[in-house]
Amino acid sequence: MIKQAFRASNIAVQLANKQILQDISFELAAGDILGLVGPSGCGKTTLLNTIAGFINQQRGELEIDQALTISASKPMPPEQRRIGMIFQDYALFPHLTVAANIKFGLSKLSKAEQAQRCSDLLALLKLDDFADRYPHQLSGGQQQRVAIARALAPRPKLLLLDEPFSNIDARLRNELMLELRQLLKSQGITAIFVTHNKDEVFTFADKIAVMHQGKIAQFGVPSEVCQQPNSWQVADFLQLGSWLSVVKQAGVLQSALGVLDFVSVEQLDTLADGSDKQLLIKPQYLVLAPTVKANVAVKHVSVTEQGYHYLVAPIGASVADNESSSPEQLLSFYSADIFQVEQPLSLSVAAHQALIF
Amino acid sequence: MSVWLLALALMVPVLTMFYASISASSGVFSHLWQTVLPDYIQNTLLLGAWVVFLVIVFGVPSAAIISQTNVYGRRFLRWLLLLPLAMPAYLVAYLYTDLFDYAGPLQRFLRAQFDWQSPQDYWFFDIRTLAGAGVIIALVLFPYVYMLTRTAFEQQDKHLLRASRTLGFSAGQTLFKVSIPLARPAIAVAASLVLMETLADFATVQYFAVNTLTTAIYDTWLGYGDIAAANAIASVLTLLVFIVLVLEQRSRAHQQHQTNRPNQAQPLLQLTMWQNLLASGYCWLLVVAGFLLPMILLLAMAFDYSTGEQVVELLDTGVNSLTIAAYVATIATVLALVFASYRRFSQSKGKQLPLQISGFGYAIPGTVLAMAMLATFGPLDHWLNDLAASMEWQQPGLILSGTIFAIVIALVVRFIAIANGTLASGYDQIAKSLDYAPASLGVSLPKAVGRVHLPLLRPSIFVAWLLVFVEAMKELPAVLLLRPFNFDTLSTHIYQLISDERLEQGALGAILIVAFGLLPIIWLNKEKAQS
Repeated sequence: MIKQAFRASNIAVQLANKQILQDISFELAAGDILGLVGPSGCGKTTLLNTIAGFINQQRGELEIDQALTISASKPMPPEQRRIGMIFQDYALFPHLTVAANIKFGLSKLSKAEQAQRCSDLLALLKLDDFADRYPHQLSGGQQQRVAIARALAPRPKLLLLDEPFSNIDARLRNELMLELRQLLKSQGITAIFVTHNKDEVFTFADKIAVMHQGKIAQFGVPSEVCQQPNSWQVADFLQLGSWLSVVKQAGVLQSALGVLDFVSVEQLDTLADGSDKQLLIKPQYLVLAPTVKANVAVKHVSVTEQGYHYLVAPIGASVADNESSSPEQLLSFYSADIFQVEQPLSLSVAAHQALIF
Repeated sequence: MSVWLLALALMVPVLTMFYASISASSGVFSHLWQTVLPDYIQNTLLLGAWVVFLVIVFGVPSAAIISQTNVYGRRFLRWLLLLPLAMPAYLVAYLYTDLFDYAGPLQRFLRAQFDWQSPQDYWFFDIRTLAGAGVIIALVLFPYVYMLTRTAFEQQDKHLLRASRTLGFSAGQTLFKVSIPLARPAIAVAASLVLMETLADFATVQYFAVNTLTTAIYDTWLGYGDIAAANAIASVLTLLVFIVLVLEQRSRAHQQHQTNRPNQAQPLLQLTMWQNLLASGYCWLLVVAGFLLPMILLLAMAFDYSTGEQVVELLDTGVNSLTIAAYVATIATVLALVFASYRRFSQSKGKQLPLQISGFGYAIPGTVLAMAMLATFGPLDHWLNDLAASMEWQQPGLILSGTIFAIVIALVVRFIAIANGTLASGYDQIAKSLDYAPASLGVSLPKAVGRVHLPLLRPSIFVAWLLVFVEAMKELPAVLLLRPFNFDTLSTHIYQLISDERLEQGALGAILIVAFGLLPIIWLNKEKAQS
């Protein structure tokens, strides 16, 4: 059985009389990397700071490495929690060299042990040549590696990362993510990181927690969350597809793209007659159907490495829909063919397990 | 180009003084060196080191206590700790001597209480020493260290402090491991400012009869009338100051740790009751010793001894002070506006230099500046008189060196740095795009400055004027050396009374000086509260 490395149960946090976090419960196995995502203001950073000990919870319990239990009535200062943290701006000590930064948390070890641990980490993070440099003499990527080395030096039981890739060039970001993930995996480190970027979550995390208004909306492995988002908010934040308005009338599901007959009877039964709903359509389920009468018009074309990406608006939808052709009202799909803006097309929805919210 | 000349012109007197002292007969210097100079230098350096040590002991802990702990009365102590800056050191020196001397109330009380008869019966510290002068100077100058260190603490990146926590250090340990080391450049800047002020101090050491370079300049010139020797001593002092100035500039260069994420949200260190009492007691001790006690003594004095006669006298000298201060403030502000505008709008590489060069004056002690004015304008006056004589006009007398002209120029040189700083930062707050926007609307740059920049700068101009005005009001040594016969300002008047041991008759004037000194502190505090 895999050892449990972290547990949060029923965490609630109030700041300045505002409920920031509520009912936060989850567990992580040793070596898991959890990505906390959500729109800004959802409380993900507060949760990270609560785990770190910079904020104390009003309710609930944290358990680190099955050894430390931190309850609301028995708070524990950050320095006793055996956590490591990597800050968004790395927070390297500007008055200390790279080596001194790394050794900062090792003051309980002997000088020789400190030097050994430091040189191991310098080697692990390919920083050997920079030991005597000061932080301002390093590039952004190198600074991040120093921050990682410094956080790992005292062998923390849990590593916290606050938007670790937000200061990194978009082009380098993917490479660094893979590198860091490999490193954490090879060292067997349990980690929690915060991001507002869904791509980072899918690349970097073993588990994801999508947060919404101070609660965890969904927790699970990325593929599962991606396939079975449990709410409109989760699907919308992770941008899993576009939204098509549907309405159940006379026992069938009507939409701007015609009757959706692939929806199972059991699923239809859960919907009330006449109720407006939103169907999540991933791009791959929108297909060109030359035989059907044109039902959408092209609104925007962009070129991507996977062909042309189209945003289209349903034709002849209700007045309300026509008024606002804002991006969230548009359907998105990819095609290898070239179409012009305003060109009418006929699309149909391929049969799939429908996600209706 | 003309801006450059203007800036350089302000430094000409000092250079002239150097030149005069170098070209003076070498006999003067070697004679000084063999007699008193080593002593004076030693005293000056000892005093400087002692004051710097004390201001750090006073200023850094108080800054840490106020910015990092939940000390009792934090909100009040925060600005109360700035008040000692308004107290001229020589006033405190006089008042404390009165209080702690053998004949003072404290020792009399002790003698009566314990039935001691003579000084042989007990030990009591002697305040009229170099050590005593240092304590008094430090008591009124430590707010520099307190203020800059506190600001440094408050501007430290809170993530750095949190990083230290996650790496196993408690909040208290973090203070020593991270906060204080990070504040070191700020502490160094403040300490060098204090050192400059200490090197410039004249009245306190004079009153305590501690011979330093400033008192030596004064004695050599006014006592022995030996201008060459006075010039030489002033040059030595200038060299010392220059070394400190270099130290200060280098420390400033190291101040790059500040971030735009001030740590206001950082929770305060929770002190236990005893720690809290100790911390708050320490801060209160500084406030009381540096401001409240002297202020109370002054008020009591004014209450006991003030007469209508003194008020009339006060009006006389007060008008002189106001006149000089108004001239100085106006000239300095106009010049600073020119230099700051040049920095803003010039395309040339060295556009900052006029601002910087003219700003060095703040480091030059008043006594040195006075000597520089005499060295420059004295010969000029003689030349003018000779010229007038040869043209058979009436001789004008010492119209440059013997009038308030020299005083005003000396004070402008000394205090223009304040106006420079205020106006330069005022300009920095005006978005650079506003320089270009008027042109895009068909308004030329000179007109735009009048219509856009000057109106926006108005608060800065006012503040610059006010700050220079206050400093010029308070300045003593330069005025003392340069004032025309029978001409007194508020500060020289008070100083005379102090020398004659009868401050009672000038207590009102002294209170006025302190009150003027409070103005910039109130402004400083308001500024901080807004930002």
